[in-house]
Amino acid sequence: MPRLCEWLEQIPWIVAITNSAILISLVWLVHYLGFFLLVGTTAIVDLRVLGVAARNQKLAPLAGQLFPFAWTGLGLVIASGFIMFAGQATTFYPTAVFRIKMGMVLLAFVFGVIVQRKSLIWDRAPSIPTAAKWLAFASLALWIGAILAGLEVPAFIPV
Amino acid sequence: MHTWLVDICERLQNLRLVVWLVTAQYAYPFIQWTHFTGLSLWLGTTLALDFRLLGAGKKFQTAAQLSDALFAWNWLGLGIAVLGGFTLFATAAVGYIDNPAFRLKLIVLLPLALAWHIFVQRKSRTWGRTPETPAVAKLAGLMEIALWVSVATAAVWIPNY
Repeated sequence: MPRLCEWLEQIPWIVAITNSAILISLVWLVHYLGFFLLVGTTAIVDLRVLGVAARNQKLAPLAGQLFPFAWTGLGLVIASGFIMFAGQATTFYPTAVFRIKMGMVLLAFVFGVIVQRKSLIWDRAPSIPTAAKWLAFASLALWIGAILAGLEVPAFIPV
Repeated sequence: MHTWLVDICERLQNLRLVVWLVTAQYAYPFIQWTHFTGLSLWLGTTLALDFRLLGAGKKFQTAAQLSDALFAWNWLGLGIAVLGGFTLFATAAVGYIDNPAFRLKLIVLLPLALAWHIFVQRKSRTWGRTPETPAVAKLAGLMEIALWVSVATAAVWIPNY
């Protein structure tokens, strides 16, 4: 893995983007906008499952409407995040907070997929099952936690 | 620069709580976190409505229904984002008021995008009655996306000055 990280850091186009103030700012911009879209729309679905948002609407149409936007955001986050990671791979890879963040994102993604797939079934039930609410709560906490972990990464990298 | 403005900024920056936030280890990311969590709610829901007005993605809901579902959390998100944003500003107020990217964002782009957002959100009730939105709604949604991208671009550029 350390060898792979070193190799990533030396890819010419990664080096070019990382060393250009304009290009790397653009990558950050895409990363921010992507996760705003991802986290904001996922949070609304989670809050609907929890019964605090859009209570006058059915879950399934709302989830069906918002999840494609969330996954679009995820695509932007992964593409830009890969470039951000590759440029400083040897620094990021061993950092614990970075690993925690990636773990949280992965788990939150899995929870998101479950919520999307189950929304129709939960809608047909007389009330949304308690397990579903726990799942939504965990998803919400993981996304918010992932944002914090991401922001803490620079603070934990030894200068 | 007006001296009274610099004076206010200096006082803000030297508040005991603000000084603590800057000097305490691991504290600063929590302020960024407040800003970014609020922004996720605010921009995530704002852009989702814009995309729906554009006709992008699925059509499980009309734009009016979606706007109704997102409304309260949309504005709550802005509230959180402003709270975090103001605190971020306070930590280096004197530097920020001198920063061209910050000024462009706060004085020009943000008010413009905000005003446009209020207009689009109000209009989405009429534009979004039917699954297919009118051309004017698509244009308005596209414009709002462009405006927020410009706000975010200015924000991302702030550290480069």
